[in-house]
Amino acid sequence: MRKIAIYGKGGIGKSTTTQNTVAALAEMGKKIMVVGCDPKADSTRLLLHGLAQKSVLDTLREEGEDVELDDIRREGYGNCLCVESGGPEPGVGCAGRGIITSINMLEQLGAYEESEELDYSFYDVLGDVVCGGFAMPIREGKAQEIYIVCSGEMMAMYAANNICKGIMKFAESGGVRLGGLICNSRNVDNEKEMIEEFAKQLGTQMIHFVPRDNDVQRAEIRKMTVIDWNSSCPQADEYRALAANIDANKLFVVPNPLQVEQLEELLMEFGLLEGVA
Amino acid sequence: MSTERINTPDLNTPSEPFVVEALTAEQIKEELTRQYPSKVKRKRDKQIVLNEKKKDESGSLTLPVINANTRTSPGIITQRGCTYAGCKGVIMGPTRDIINITHGPIGCGYYSWLTRRNQTKPPTEEHDNYIPYSFSTDMQDENIIFGGEKKLKAAIKEAYEMFHPKAIAVFATCPVGLIGDDVHQACREMKRELVDCNVFAFSCEGYKGVSQSAGHHIANNGVFQNMVGNQTKEPKGKFKINLLGEYNIGGDAFVLEEMFEKCGITLLSTFSGNSTVEQFEQAHWAELNCVMCHRSINYVADMIEKKYGAPWIKVNFIGAKATAKSLRKIAEFFNDPDLTERVENFITAEYPAVLKAQAEILPRTEGKRAMLFVGGSRAHSYQELFSEIGMKTIAAGYEFAHRDDYEGRKVLPDIKVDADSRNIEELTVERDEELYREPKTNADLESLKNRDFFENYKGMMADMGEKAMIIDDVSHHEAEKLIEMCQPDIFCAGIKEKYAVQKLGVPCKQLHSYDYGGPYAGFQGAIQFYSDIDRMVNSKVKDMIKAPWE
Amino acid sequence: MALLRHTTDDVVERQALTVNPAKTCQPIGAMYAALGIHRCLPHSHGSQGCCSYHRSTLSRHYKEPAMAATSSFTEGSSVFGGQANLLQGLNTIFSVYKPDVVAVHTTCLSETIGDDIPQIADAAVAKGFVPEGKRVIHCNTPSYVGSHTTGFANMTKAMVDYFSTSTTDEKIDGQVNIIPGWVEPADMSEIKRLVKLMGLDGITFPDTSGVLDAPLKSEYNMYPDGGTTIDQLESTGDSAGTIALGPICSGPAAEALKNKCQVPQETLPLPIGLRATDIFIQALRKYNGGEVPAEITAERGRLVDLVSDMSQYFYGKTVALWGDPDQLVSLTQFLVDLDMRPKYIVTGTPGKAFLRRIGEVLGDSVKEVIAKQGPQADMLYLHQLIKREKVDLLIGNTYGKYISRDEDIPLLRHGFPIIDRIGHQYFPTTGYRGAMRLCEKILDAFLDRQDRDSPEESFELTM
Repeated sequence: MRKIAIYGKGGIGKSTTTQNTVAALAEMGKKIMVVGCDPKADSTRLLLHGLAQKSVLDTLREEGEDVELDDIRREGYGNCLCVESGGPEPGVGCAGRGIITSINMLEQLGAYEESEELDYSFYDVLGDVVCGGFAMPIREGKAQEIYIVCSGEMMAMYAANNICKGIMKFAESGGVRLGGLICNSRNVDNEKEMIEEFAKQLGTQMIHFVPRDNDVQRAEIRKMTVIDWNSSCPQADEYRALAANIDANKLFVVPNPLQVEQLEELLMEFGLLEGVA
Repeated sequence: MSTERINTPDLNTPSEPFVVEALTAEQIKEELTRQYPSKVKRKRDKQIVLNEKKKDESGSLTLPVINANTRTSPGIITQRGCTYAGCKGVIMGPTRDIINITHGPIGCGYYSWLTRRNQTKPPTEEHDNYIPYSFSTDMQDENIIFGGEKKLKAAIKEAYEMFHPKAIAVFATCPVGLIGDDVHQACREMKRELVDCNVFAFSCEGYKGVSQSAGHHIANNGVFQNMVGNQTKEPKGKFKINLLGEYNIGGDAFVLEEMFEKCGITLLSTFSGNSTVEQFEQAHWAELNCVMCHRSINYVADMIEKKYGAPWIKVNFIGAKATAKSLRKIAEFFNDPDLTERVENFITAEYPAVLKAQAEILPRTEGKRAMLFVGGSRAHSYQELFSEIGMKTIAAGYEFAHRDDYEGRKVLPDIKVDADSRNIEELTVERDEELYREPKTNADLESLKNRDFFENYKGMMADMGEKAMIIDDVSHHEAEKLIEMCQPDIFCAGIKEKYAVQKLGVPCKQLHSYDYGGPYAGFQGAIQFYSDIDRMVNSKVKDMIKAPWE
Repeated sequence: MALLRHTTDDVVERQALTVNPAKTCQPIGAMYAALGIHRCLPHSHGSQGCCSYHRSTLSRHYKEPAMAATSSFTEGSSVFGGQANLLQGLNTIFSVYKPDVVAVHTTCLSETIGDDIPQIADAAVAKGFVPEGKRVIHCNTPSYVGSHTTGFANMTKAMVDYFSTSTTDEKIDGQVNIIPGWVEPADMSEIKRLVKLMGLDGITFPDTSGVLDAPLKSEYNMYPDGGTTIDQLESTGDSAGTIALGPICSGPAAEALKNKCQVPQETLPLPIGLRATDIFIQALRKYNGGEVPAEITAERGRLVDLVSDMSQYFYGKTVALWGDPDQLVSLTQFLVDLDMRPKYIVTGTPGKAFLRRIGEVLGDSVKEVIAKQGPQADMLYLHQLIKREKVDLLIGNTYGKYISRDEDIPLLRHGFPIIDRIGHQYFPTTGYRGAMRLCEKILDAFLDRQDRDSPEESFELTM
């Protein structure tokens, strides 16, 4: 089983990208589990057609110790298994602790056991790795591959670079590696080339360039992934390509995060940042 | 009969330089820190000093500078505890009619449940006493993830409905601070809702500060803000004092209460041994505050003086001579012939038994050597008791004191406030125009002030022998080395050190719990202490350790 | 005057407040378990206070040094994480205290921050803070999950995770792993004695005998002779089987060992009392060819003899118990076997399995018993039940002395912590001999009471 964590700046389209990729992998016949690690518990709604499912933490809170795997796991598109970690409402408690608790719970319940015959499990993690809990999915023995969703916008690249710093810490001692950047296009000038170069400097690859297409939103309004909504539209093929690239990926690296100056240089080189005299 | 003529060994007699067989004090000091990583060694070197006193040109004494109240290096086996322990365990624990709810996982409330031996004596069966109880919100995983405020409020309500206490205090533990439960807001809400119950909280998360000391300060602030001053009616009584920094371990406060009563001194409140909410609420009516443990309670003494006017003096009721001296100091403040006579009569009545005990024990204890590593005042005050039976303190240090407890309050302006202390709130206290009273005394206030009668604590170093070893926050490693090199006759510390020290063949006297003995305060306490120490330093166990065939 | 004067017989359902808990938090269990590894220094990754409280409590109970280091978190570490503290801590520990193993456990603080201990330990190795051949192991012990027993289980499991190795497919005949659970050092010795008498090579882990009951020799060794060695722990992977005593404290390690090294395991009740000891001996017979030495059979016989002699005094006596699930289940079984009637049984350790186990032990008589687990299964609740209907005997830790005095009911001190008596760490209550000691103590409690209370005319010399 390959365990993959998807990171990226908040609002970059992580959940959308993850779910569409999962749909494509499922279409390829893969058995997948998706674990949403966002307290808002909305990382699997496209796969579940909006079905509000009870999060691990809510279940734990209500059922106490008598939790069964089936209480917290729902089947979604293409027989993929969906789990939402859940967490507190904004401003109270500790969302990071929630992630630790729910991943431990999944392990205890045997969600990752060989008998489950999973090909993939995906962790969709909240925007920034703000505290230890948000790094839980990349601790030793958890996810081995990370993909960072980014775009050509400066803040997205800045965030991606920061996430690389986080990965480095865990990669130095553990087995977690960066598998590549997923460019979720925002139609920025020279976006593809710039992200390719950015990926190169980080020591990784741009695993796929997902063009911007309103079909994504059309599908989303219907609480569906693109493949589910209209499997023959061109955007569906983009996600198939992304899924195929991930499935065939062999390039796993410990990233070299850029210095801020290097990052600025890159942005200048591709004409996005005016040189400061 | 005047006790002044009674010949007791003088604590301030300079002892001979500290030398152990072939090792000089400097060599011993070096040996203590030799094995540390260099960064740790540099830090520890500043916390271990030889008591080299110098007289400057004006003839006043200068003492060495010691680093204190700084972080313990991680990995060091330290005596220290945490802020919660200082706040809930030490200061708030001994009050019998407050329900103390620990907001956190179960451990903190469990370990501070009855373990400090704070005795209390409710006058009747009808009076409240929650000391044998431990109250906790016993936070579970879900309370951490989803927040614990709701559970806290429900717990306060349940406590109120079951017990109807006068007051409920809430103590925040580490994870509560981390997840951001607003304990103060929760308490304010519950106070409004419950109407006849004072509800307040302490942000005493264990990670704050560098030791228990931060917790003392936080507790002082809370007591002062939430209780002191609440009683608007002046209580009856002549010569009204508060006793600050006495926690009634082993019944010390009982001895002192009786002593004050016999002398005709009205004890309004004790902070906080054998205390009640009512005592705290009327504390501002005292004319004089008497501070025992300077470290843990000086904040309240200062704040009462600023807001209500009563000055404070440092007293010490550990040691017979110190007890007599402190009683006379109180009498001197009030300067009332009747009071003075009663105090002298009391001393005259009690002292012969003390002298008799000393005379009997001294031949067996004289010349023996003690080491004291404990607390924030006991490592100093107990030296008195040892000196009264002819024993020398060759090394001492505090667990959680500040520089002023070593070098005296005169260094207060020079103490750098570091980040760890800065995050402990310093209350701004202003004069209460209605309740403020100038110190009411018949004595010549100015002349008392001029001779440092008030607010004067000279610290440990001034009373210790030349080149005595002074170690702040001693580590297990240092203690072990020190014992091996110096072979003291007794080592005073706490439960964590006790059995390791005794494995080395040296008796260890616990000065937190008194080894479940005591009381040691006042004249009766001194006699008890002499006898306990006599038993320990002359124990037969030492001779039994080696088997005949070894 | 009543000590617990505010306790009434009015039992009100509580949701939030725990009063006089019948459990404490995880890390202390991890610390105790770690002390059962030879030359191991436990390390508490959190604020100083945790370490101080745990060491104090362990020392008060065992009357022995309980050495452990701490990461001494400050406000800064609680914001930035405790990596720097643990790195510096490990450097200092190996420079000064020179253990072979540092066993790190977390606290509620570092758990909530989410510090990743293996990652930090690897960083310490990379920085050269961990000398060649020395080991850093860890377990997670969030204080807001389970209880002190869970912490003990987690550290015991960590011993398997870090050390157990399977070197051959052939398991070593006659080598059996014994996981004794949270019992006194003397119990560990007693269990080892029985295994040896059965002619087996036992590896007992953790093993605090020789550590927390070390002799006085006028020299202090931070690492006494006792404790399970690293070699032994590694070898557990080659053992023919594992016997886990007590599902809560020992079950998880046995299960982990089965999964990791394919060592078959059996989880049994703690061998307290006749029947539980029988089960233990029966389990050992599977490894030694079935032979039980006459010495053990004679010990058993003596116990039965004693039970027979004492039976008239035990019959029908009611008992209230509190403490840890593994102990409570075996004690309840023994009391039932002695014709006594357990009446109230509470444990703060959460877990419904406890109620099932108690139900199995009690059979039909379960209807007459009130058993409760979880945060509100505390000693206030227990005391309230006793106020409603008294019992003849209390069995539990030191904190019961307040109920004992208020209600004038004799107390048999058993479990953790016992901080007001000395000697319990030297005398086992496990095995047949331990059961004899339990009987003697129970009978003494009843007869001392009878001697105190009986009117002059019926005060008797012989019993």
